[in-house]
Amino acid sequence: MAFFEQDIHDEPKTFLSKYIFSFDHKVIGKQFLWYGIFFLGVGGMMALLIRWTLAFPGQAFPVLGPILFPDTNGVVPPDTYAMLFTMHGTIMIFYAITPILIGAFGNYCIPLMIGARDMVFPTLNMLSFWIAVVSGIMLLASLVTPLGAAAGGWTSYPTLSTLLGSPGVGQTLWTLALFVLGVSSTMGAVNYIATIITLRAPGMGYFDMPLTIWGLWLTAILNAIFLPVLGAGLLLLTFDRMFGTTFFLAGAAATSGSGDPILFQHVFWIFGHPEVYILILPAWGIVSDLLSFFARKPAFGAKSTALSMTAITVLSTVVYGHHMYSSQMSPLLTQSFMMLTMTISIPSAVFFANWLGTIWKGALKFDTPMIFSLGVVFVFGLGGLTGLYLATVTTNIYLHGTYFVVGHFHYTMAASVLLGGFAATYFWFPKMFGRMMNEFWGKVHFWLTMLGLNGVFMGMMIVGHAGMHRRIYNPFVYEFLQRLIPLNQFITISALLMGAAQIIFVVNFIHALIKGPKASQNPWNVGTLEWTIPTPAPHYNFKEIPVVKCGPHEFGNPLLKDKDFQYQTEELVKA
Amino acid sequence: MKFISLLAATLFVLSAYGQDSTESSSWLSLLKAPLDISVEGHRVDSLITLTTYLIIFFFVIVCIGLFGFSYYYSQKRHPVPLYIDGTSKKHILIVAFIGSLVFVLIDMQITSISNNDYMEVFNKWPDENKEEVVKVEVLGQQWAWNFRYAGADGIFNTEDDVVTLNDLRVPTGKKVVFQITSKDVIHAFSIPNVRLKVDAIPGRITRMWTEFTKPGDYSIACTEMCGTYHYRMQAKLKVYDPNDFANWLAESHSNTKHIVDQENPDIFWGWKWIVTTQN
Amino acid sequence: MKTTLGYNHSTSNSSVSEGQRVVSSIGTTIALVSFAMLFVTLMMGFAIFRFTAPVWPPQGASKPALLIPSLSTLIIFLSSVAFNYFEKQPKERRKYFNVTILMAVFFLISQFLFWFNLHANGIFTSSGVFASILYSFTWIHAAHIVLAFFLLLWLAHKLEKSGIAPNQHLIKNIGLFWHFLGIVWLIMFVTIFVL
Repeated sequence: MAFFEQDIHDEPKTFLSKYIFSFDHKVIGKQFLWYGIFFLGVGGMMALLIRWTLAFPGQAFPVLGPILFPDTNGVVPPDTYAMLFTMHGTIMIFYAITPILIGAFGNYCIPLMIGARDMVFPTLNMLSFWIAVVSGIMLLASLVTPLGAAAGGWTSYPTLSTLLGSPGVGQTLWTLALFVLGVSSTMGAVNYIATIITLRAPGMGYFDMPLTIWGLWLTAILNAIFLPVLGAGLLLLTFDRMFGTTFFLAGAAATSGSGDPILFQHVFWIFGHPEVYILILPAWGIVSDLLSFFARKPAFGAKSTALSMTAITVLSTVVYGHHMYSSQMSPLLTQSFMMLTMTISIPSAVFFANWLGTIWKGALKFDTPMIFSLGVVFVFGLGGLTGLYLATVTTNIYLHGTYFVVGHFHYTMAASVLLGGFAATYFWFPKMFGRMMNEFWGKVHFWLTMLGLNGVFMGMMIVGHAGMHRRIYNPFVYEFLQRLIPLNQFITISALLMGAAQIIFVVNFIHALIKGPKASQNPWNVGTLEWTIPTPAPHYNFKEIPVVKCGPHEFGNPLLKDKDFQYQTEELVKA
Repeated sequence: MKFISLLAATLFVLSAYGQDSTESSSWLSLLKAPLDISVEGHRVDSLITLTTYLIIFFFVIVCIGLFGFSYYYSQKRHPVPLYIDGTSKKHILIVAFIGSLVFVLIDMQITSISNNDYMEVFNKWPDENKEEVVKVEVLGQQWAWNFRYAGADGIFNTEDDVVTLNDLRVPTGKKVVFQITSKDVIHAFSIPNVRLKVDAIPGRITRMWTEFTKPGDYSIACTEMCGTYHYRMQAKLKVYDPNDFANWLAESHSNTKHIVDQENPDIFWGWKWIVTTQN
Repeated sequence: MKTTLGYNHSTSNSSVSEGQRVVSSIGTTIALVSFAMLFVTLMMGFAIFRFTAPVWPPQGASKPALLIPSLSTLIIFLSSVAFNYFEKQPKERRKYFNVTILMAVFFLISQFLFWFNLHANGIFTSSGVFASILYSFTWIHAAHIVLAFFLLLWLAHKLEKSGIAPNQHLIKNIGLFWHFLGIVWLIMFVTIFVL
């Protein structure tokens, strides 16, 4: 099935070729992991600054406040606040989730799970990482420019994001940094798509691939098609800022000819809606697999889950207008987008039912990866369903621009993707590092995170419905929002709890790296191909390219004698 | 047992919707949107309520599955898993049924209600030839709201126009139609108490209409990020009885400032009203 | 032992395996889809401006003179023809590859002439939407031509070093990218300059 067999090359010898400029997908995956975790911390810190300001306006941020904001005695000033929520969004989406779920787990898992020795274009892979590093540096640099970083929201609508609304080089650097990151991700996408098409081991048809790979493949397809759309929009915005073009200028900004700010919104959301599916698809795939693995039962309706994910991938391209109802598009467009958005419910309900079908009548083991996966079922159920309010035009008009939206997308993005990412980390840690993370502290991490997360994002949906709009520095200048002060404080305390819980994860992770118990070759007793090779994996992965003889979810076959699962390389035991 | 307690909790929560007003005495008031002071705003509220019931219904089922299965099918309790892959006819039909059920029961219901509300009400502009409407032009800018009324001659962009800053005054009993634009960046004109908002976009005119029902003082917010002081871009809304409104309007002809901007009537501030017939 | 970038090419340097050739074609196809989406978005933007404007070119603007753009079109067309000719018999027609590279340089020169000409006629990027489109789209296209140009130079280097046989797939794929850019130019030329 693989189009050709990759050579077993010599192991890299120098420090530079082993750890810095490595072509090995496993190393590049880990590089993306460190990169993503670093930015997750930065973005999380920004979130805490935001939440502090919302709960305790006018009060200095503890410890770091006086250092960061000496001019205001440690209180976050309003223009910095705007930078914080802008950069928080940008960093979390492009510099945390994308590198961790797609860059790290995509890179690490794809060749191993499909039975390949590496990605099909290793040089492109290495370049993709280092270009992402360049982008990260550009973004961080924008924080220390004289007028500060971009502050127009992660959506950076013109004309606020043009020179009129955002003078200074921070916004320009932001735009360019994102373009560069888009280049990096597109390169990665080309690699993933081509690898999955061409290097699957003999016997591995598309529906014999683990659902994790489906998720990553569909994500890569969306990335390859839609990142350039964002790229075009960013280029035109950059030209407006740097070369005086007038694509998006109107009103007072259009001193020399007029453009159309709404055009940017269309271009942005044509990318932006697929982007949110890009972020969640890997997590969906991972959860679909893990639920089966830890229920010791085949994934219920695996093929229909894969097809549902594909249907959602396709549908996601035609629903973007629901982000723009308030810009008053034509009634025909508005209604069409509502109708199309609603259709996404069907495949979503299908794979959700499949998830429940997987654990139904299973023999569930509640290891840390499993409880995180179950957590995803919970938070994505909630988050996904709340999308309905926003798909519907008339309720959207009321809820748009409020914290309800913030609660909804954090449930689906922060909660679901993050929990999925943690599930993946706990699950593949033994493969990546040859040791086991601590189960007890993993479970503590889970429960504290769940507690905190639900407090924060359910709280946000409530305050949003109660009228609190978003991206505001001090909501309490509005009298009708003052009753929400206690709830805002509750949200902040939950956020602090959630943030603190991550310290447990970091400590567990580092401790396990250094002193964790050594992992056996297959600690989870799972049959996918990455567990058929030694731990940690040799640089060439497979000495012999495996021949796949059964699916990835062969658990609980009553005919099996010595173990309750089959490796994908084993002939399926039939009656 | 689990089911009963879940049901009880649900009913308790839902009972909040039966209560009236926004008194902060009840914690349940937090679950309510601000007081609805419009003729048609209840449509949004009841659709939100309906959607909530439907969502809770399905989410409860999901939780029963999630928690129930986790409990009953843990390895300890249920050591032998069922070796099926969900491809039997029965299972496929069940899943297909669930998918269709969700779509028909929730999605189609909400869509048709919302569509009707949108096309027949919120997006249906009052016929200015048939009924008397109050016309207000709104200009958003960083960081304030300007409102303009046509004045005694009924024509915008003439010397007797009444212009106010952050101070919108409207009567009950008549439809109020807004035409909105922005001077600089994109803002959003939002009146939470009538459940409506629309973007204020430089270079184009957006519109909104509503009819107020309760006199009093309320807030207007900007709900699209527009710069550092976006959070303070508040305007005051005062709803009058029709008589009081007429008095105010007459009085303000002499008091408030007049702005006439003949230069860029179509783009900038001071456009002639655009009579809208049904689109 | 020399290290090669991309170690999964066949160690026998006499030819590239069939599988690897197909794989590189697949990779190129996906990459071309990505590049295409960038230009599709630009064209979508153009279409929206064009068809929502009451009059086109907009008030005060006028279409640029067709001489230089037509010349650019001819040059890029010839460059693709030359490359295609070379590709059919690379060993014998090596000099046509050099013609392609020469044409690429001429194309870039013609672009500079175009921009210079606009400037000389008082049309700057700030002269409204149409001028914005003219400059930006040709800049973006030219940037990709520069990228392709470096790929052509790299290909020339590889051909020097190891001959035609191990680089058949490179010739095909870089050629595809070059032709793609030619088609993009043609579409832009017809829709923006002519129509």
